[in-house]
Amino acid sequence: MHKGVVLVVDDEAPIRDILSFYLKRAGYQVLLAEHGRMALEEMGRLLPDLILSDLRMPEMAGDELCQAVKGDPRTRDIFFVLVSAMDGLASKIGGLNLGADDMISKPFHAQEVMAKVESAFRLISMRKEIKRQNLELTRFQDRMTAELALAARLQMGLLPGIPGLAAGLSYTHRYLPAEGIGGDIYTIVPLPDHSVAFMIADVSGHGVTAALISAMVKTFFESQLRFGGGPLAWAQGMNRDLARSTLAEQFATAFLARLDPVQGTIRYVCAGHPAPLLIHQGAAGGRNHISILGGKGFMLGIDETLPFGEQTCGFEKGDRLVFYTDGLVEVEREDRQLLGEEGLLEICADLPGDREQAADLIIEQAIAFNHPAPFTDDVTLVLLDRV
Amino acid sequence: MLNIQTRQEGNASVVTIQGKVNFEVTAQLRDVIRDTVTTLQPKLLVINLESVSFIDSSGLGLLVAARNSVDKNSGKLHLCGLPPQVKKTFDQTNLTNYFSIFTTEQDALRGA
Repeated sequence: MHKGVVLVVDDEAPIRDILSFYLKRAGYQVLLAEHGRMALEEMGRLLPDLILSDLRMPEMAGDELCQAVKGDPRTRDIFFVLVSAMDGLASKIGGLNLGADDMISKPFHAQEVMAKVESAFRLISMRKEIKRQNLELTRFQDRMTAELALAARLQMGLLPGIPGLAAGLSYTHRYLPAEGIGGDIYTIVPLPDHSVAFMIADVSGHGVTAALISAMVKTFFESQLRFGGGPLAWAQGMNRDLARSTLAEQFATAFLARLDPVQGTIRYVCAGHPAPLLIHQGAAGGRNHISILGGKGFMLGIDETLPFGEQTCGFEKGDRLVFYTDGLVEVEREDRQLLGEEGLLEICADLPGDREQAADLIIEQAIAFNHPAPFTDDVTLVLLDRV
Repeated sequence: MLNIQTRQEGNASVVTIQGKVNFEVTAQLRDVIRDTVTTLQPKLLVINLESVSFIDSSGLGLLVAARNSVDKNSGKLHLCGLPPQVKKTFDQTNLTNYFSIFTTEQDALRGA
């Protein structure tokens, strides 16, 4: 196995011979050419790693050859050493400006040339390694990007279709994950007794892990619904499921509710989640009174023994609920101001009746408030009207 | 930017955090807390949050995990100096009732 391929270009046979002798002895494969044109022909058969070329030659001189090699994308990475009888700085700078990687002045000692060749090959092998790693990284990145895009599509498929309708309720959402896929999830499930189960959750962190857990949260919620019961039982069950199946730092804030359009009530558990807003008669738009569906509860998944509390409030025909995750209101601006619940209350104080327009307006105003800081966390907004 | 400092006060380790605690910096903070807990096995770990401007859910997760790992060594975790913004996040998530929270670092050290 040879150490690499060197092309020696010189019109003087004795120089070709002596360089060839030393190079072969050091373990290189040697190609020979008498001038630039012949060198290019030779390269058509086999591409060298390094070219040692004389400057002055008939047919095609070394500078011309250098420009040809460095101007061609297929050959420009070949290490080019120009051998020139013109000693002095000006000629060296001239050669390097042509694109040569190094210069040797004539007359030379064979040992000097060999030392340059050895050092050039160290660089060449480093370059090759970097190129190889780059290629590997690019391939890896392409694969990851494609997989993330697929996962993102899948995650979008986990969200309810919009505009949505369920048992006297109409809803829409805006879902803006921070990294293509995210840890926010929400779901709406009609129950057999004509009430509707609602859950919105935000898994700690973002990215792939959070997305995986968010899918688990949805499954845990749905399996709780099969046991019947209400938000308190659901929260306790989900808390247990999450605490048992996730790592120490992973948990979710969640808001779980049973919306009952017949009774006109909402039973809910707020598990460390930003409190939703209830805009009284908000479905018609305009200025309305807003209630905050607060409640102090632990996040789900911290510890299976932690207690939760359930609350109830009224839910009249024409009322509008605004659910969101903290990414919407917790962007820290340069001046350390956050939109916060107060800011969101202001935005929601005067919304259009049209749900889609109202959702767009909330997102636009939040972005305008944060400007120029972008959303950094996953953002989910759900508007739900009792029509 | 996150700045973390640790020091010993008798049997207690004090970790002082300065800056914004979010997803990007949790790895750095996790290492410091893990090293402190495993190498020093303090009877009391005090985390001073006085100069934390913002904490997100990953930061909260880290603190919960810290409490659990201190618990395992039969130690205690005390938090202190929560600024209003951080206090609000703790209130909302009910973590105010999960952690032992003190106003000043002296109180946190004495509360052992």
